[in-house]
Amino acid sequence: MSTSSSSSISSDDEPNSNPNPIDDELSLASVTLNESNGNGSVNVNENENENNRQDGGEITWGRKNSEVEVEAPSSPSSSGYAGERGSSETTNSRIEDDEIQQVNNDDGFVDEVNHSRASSWVPGKRHVDEDDASISWRKRKKHFFILSNSGKPIYSRYGDEHKLAGFSATLQAIISFVENEGDHVKLVRAGNHQVVFLVKGPIYLVCISCTEEPYESLKGQLELIYGQMILILTKSLNRCFEKNPKFDMTPLLGGTDVVFSSLIHSFSWNPATFLHAYTCLPLAYATRQAAGAILQDVAESGVLFALLMCKNKVISLVGAQKASLHPDDMLLLSNFVMSSESFRTSECFSPICLPRYNPMAFLYAYVHYFDDDTYLMLLTTSSDAFYHLKDCRIRIEMVLLKSNVLSEVQRSLLEGGMRVEDLPLDPLPRSSISHRMSQQRLLTDSPERFRESSVGIGGPAGLWNFIYRSIYMDQYVSSEFSSPINSHQQQKRLYRAYQKLYSSMHEKGIGPHRTQFRRDENYVLLCWVTPDFELYAAFDPLADKALAIKTCNRVCQWVKDVENEIFLQGASPFSCATDKTEFAVLMLESYL
Amino acid sequence: MGCAASVPDKSSGRSGGLNNLENGGPPDAKNLRVKLVLLGDSGVGKSCIVLRFVRGQFDPTSKVTVGASFLSQTIALQDSTTVKFEIWDTAGQERYAALAPLYYRGAAVAVIVYDITSPESFTKAQYWVKELQKHGSPDIVMALVGNKADLQDSREVPAQDGIDYAEKNGMFFIETSAKTADNINQLFQEIAKRLPRPSVPDS
Repeated sequence: MSTSSSSSISSDDEPNSNPNPIDDELSLASVTLNESNGNGSVNVNENENENNRQDGGEITWGRKNSEVEVEAPSSPSSSGYAGERGSSETTNSRIEDDEIQQVNNDDGFVDEVNHSRASSWVPGKRHVDEDDASISWRKRKKHFFILSNSGKPIYSRYGDEHKLAGFSATLQAIISFVENEGDHVKLVRAGNHQVVFLVKGPIYLVCISCTEEPYESLKGQLELIYGQMILILTKSLNRCFEKNPKFDMTPLLGGTDVVFSSLIHSFSWNPATFLHAYTCLPLAYATRQAAGAILQDVAESGVLFALLMCKNKVISLVGAQKASLHPDDMLLLSNFVMSSESFRTSECFSPICLPRYNPMAFLYAYVHYFDDDTYLMLLTTSSDAFYHLKDCRIRIEMVLLKSNVLSEVQRSLLEGGMRVEDLPLDPLPRSSISHRMSQQRLLTDSPERFRESSVGIGGPAGLWNFIYRSIYMDQYVSSEFSSPINSHQQQKRLYRAYQKLYSSMHEKGIGPHRTQFRRDENYVLLCWVTPDFELYAAFDPLADKALAIKTCNRVCQWVKDVENEIFLQGASPFSCATDKTEFAVLMLESYL
Repeated sequence: MGCAASVPDKSSGRSGGLNNLENGGPPDAKNLRVKLVLLGDSGVGKSCIVLRFVRGQFDPTSKVTVGASFLSQTIALQDSTTVKFEIWDTAGQERYAALAPLYYRGAAVAVIVYDITSPESFTKAQYWVKELQKHGSPDIVMALVGNKADLQDSREVPAQDGIDYAEKNGMFFIETSAKTADNINQLFQEIAKRLPRPSVPDS
């Protein structure tokens, strides 16, 4: 990625650049904990939260349950996260600061600009030639690192891990410095950069980001990265470090760059990564039932979990007896399978671990692709069940072909999911719940089509997008992206706005909030949380508040009307929340 | 005498692992079914050899194998015998090394692959040979394969080293190129010829 092109693209896209003058930025983006300690001038302001932002870098770490902010003096280090270089680099820091400044001026959409401009995302690690001395490496908007508690690099999103040994050692030094004080470092803010730390036994995870995502979101992403590693290796990897603290783990993760890079990419397009819920491919109730019945059949023959998926969407899934699958495990498992090309070549049998199910033990996964998008995963505890699972797959395949499930899946994939343009004018009569969504779509051509949308494009009342999450079912449904949210950048920005909304609604200590109505220059965002569901909706920034509220009620009713097609029913023991949903519908006005 | 995969022995509790015990049927000297496992360092071309043999394809983009892939292919020999190879193409990554017994247990054939441009992979191949001598089926047929033979200019493992090592360990040796298809079919033909035949069908 060339410096000039990325900067110019970002400033075109992001007219609301950071108003801080450059000199302020220089002093802002410049903290390392080592040096602040060395200067002996760390001030702990227990009572002052959020007041220090303009004064210089700030360090926040958790002390028991409270957050403490530490004001630290500026250091001469250049980028705010090039700690180990320290003052030795002051001579050239001027140039680099200018580079960093350009990056800081947009709000987080540079790092994949060039790749997305080239239409689709390329899996695998990029920029392996970089290290922490490269200007381009320092300019990356979002870094992820995994390292061991002895400071050995395990994974880095950008650059060669081995060349980043010094940098890893610095991160380790920061963490252990704070730990020696009997405390834990959670977050360091340095100008526009946040450095988020997550300690998991002998494994340290660090995110360095200037994307302005909330701390909770970034921490959630680190948790998922850790989970992905556990899925590949199980938590028994801790034993390697008990035996040998200097253990080099990189060979154990050989060939998994694509798995991590695809997970990190999904943070910007897959709402499952922050909603902790899964989503289903829309299908006629009978079609999904047919798939579920045969999966149930094989589950009773000693299969722990049987999942039929299309890309990242569930067609059906069944767990044996009381085994239940956590949505995060489903996310990590489908990411692992989809990102590893070899599963598409032929049927595979591979050990995998479900971190939420049992982080200590391997399960065995039989994976088979029926077509380019649709794949079956059969999980078992038995290492010699391959031939049995192969037979199960043959039986399942026969049933799926006979009941046209696979062709219905392809059709649904082509048709897409719910579209805001199709939001019905009036709630459908109860009798038509079983109508297919595609039949409803026909309504959009009728004269009754909702035409209130005088502002903007998209759906009625300027509705651009929504996500509905059913709490009891652990499932969500999101509308397809439609105009004007067309480009990957716009979609990513919307998801980041949702993420912010999500974490503000779930903030510990303040919540639980019920509703939030927020208007900024990009959107009107409306969020409604009830014990049964959460609704996130984005509207045109000029949308009328009363109309937006009315529209949200319609969305809830619409979701309810088609729930048999968009949700997997009966997958969770608590999935009897249907009536409660209806109870909650039409009550939003009273909150706002 | 028989080999574990082609002559399933239901009374044997020893084999376990990924052996197809259910569909064995009576042993048939004319139609053999053979469990074959490929072992070797990551990136030496195990999957490419299999895909060239089974599907006649070669994909130069490297696709890291996860766990193990299962493929099968039947070949006919000149004496009108057919041999159905049930092939376990294992992942070469270190993290899967501990799981290798799952795939090689009960295998009648082990194909150990190295890359002629990589001495490390040749060392790794020798590790696998020793492992199989210790823990594999006693009558396993082993083949040592030097792959990427099309890369003569970057060769670092002399063919003679492979020949010598194979001879010392009673193995069959061949150099192949999955890219050009050189010697791929010969490899499997030769293996098929060396298989122990069930002399007396026991029923």
